[in-house]
Amino acid sequence: MTLAAYMHELSMVSNIIDIAIHEAKKRNATSVIEVNLVVGKYSMLGLEQLCYCYDLLIKDTLLKTSKLNIKHEDGKIHCDKCKYKGPIPLKEEPEYHIIFPTLVCPKCGNPAEIISGRDCYIKSLKVKT
Amino acid sequence: MTKIVEHEEDEVFDIELEESILKKNEDFAKKNSELFKTNNIKTIDIMGSIGSGKTSLIEAMVKRLKEKHQIAVLNGDLTTTIDSDRVAKHGVDVIQINTGKECHLDANLISKALEDMELDQLDLIIIENVGNLICPGEFRLGAEQRLVVISVTEGPYMVLKHPFIFMEANVVVINKLDLAEAMNVEFEKLKADVMSINPKAEVIGTSCRNDKGIIYVIGALNLN
Repeated sequence: MTLAAYMHELSMVSNIIDIAIHEAKKRNATSVIEVNLVVGKYSMLGLEQLCYCYDLLIKDTLLKTSKLNIKHEDGKIHCDKCKYKGPIPLKEEPEYHIIFPTLVCPKCGNPAEIISGRDCYIKSLKVKT
Repeated sequence: MTKIVEHEEDEVFDIELEESILKKNEDFAKKNSELFKTNNIKTIDIMGSIGSGKTSLIEAMVKRLKEKHQIAVLNGDLTTTIDSDRVAKHGVDVIQINTGKECHLDANLISKALEDMELDQLDLIIIENVGNLICPGEFRLGAEQRLVVISVTEGPYMVLKHPFIFMEANVVVINKLDLAEAMNVEFEKLKADVMSINPKAEVIGTSCRNDKGIIYVIGALNLN
């Protein structure tokens, strides 16, 4: 397994670690114990790849003994026409046995917009002083 | 009795952050978008799979639009200037952005490229993203419109396998229609797949090699 295959997650994790170190230093912390991350199901990030890159990059940092907790957040859509707000509907393609998300409003059939589930953010940190 | 709370040696703090990891990119994208608006420049982020015909589409569009528009093309690739050399032959400004190992362009790279450009001389910027149907969808560049190119030679499942990027696009181009029969791939089925994921997208069939369908792409992007 090479790092090149994980470039996308690698740069994300590198950002996460920079933010955590910055916050820890602001509070004179000696180590970071926990990083609580929220990853939208409709972001393009793979959870396994995030964890793999995390373990690689925390070495020799304030996060070296820390635990990465990831919450996988569901996506929501909003329909401007009928004001529907709810989970992103899934549709099945019987011919290929594929289940895929759709922006067709389940209530009125008009195009809807994604309002959540695309982001990746640090919800909180636990640090030790 | 008074209770005394003393500072302990190993005190543990919870820090609430809610800090977005993608925010850095979104900030740059917003900055780029404002710059485009101030200079009255239309911008299109062209994403798509490797070998689907992104450069061919740009060449065909540039040929038709260069008399009417002041165009610059930004070509994103891991390495080489093959794509930018192809586009430069048509006599428009071209900047190659080599990402090294990154699988997508990001708003910061675009913002760097913009520093060296005479924006007041331009009214259209076409950005060719790195060939990839996954990560580019995540990183908005600040472009006004996003177009995804796929081709029939990639087989019949390309759309349903990569729903996320099609959710991001306002125009989808299905290229190499001249090879559809040989590939046993139906344009109408691919179009229906796009529409079932993103009913707002405009889907256009092209054969860039034969210069077919290009005017409809130009129309869908409001570049007439």
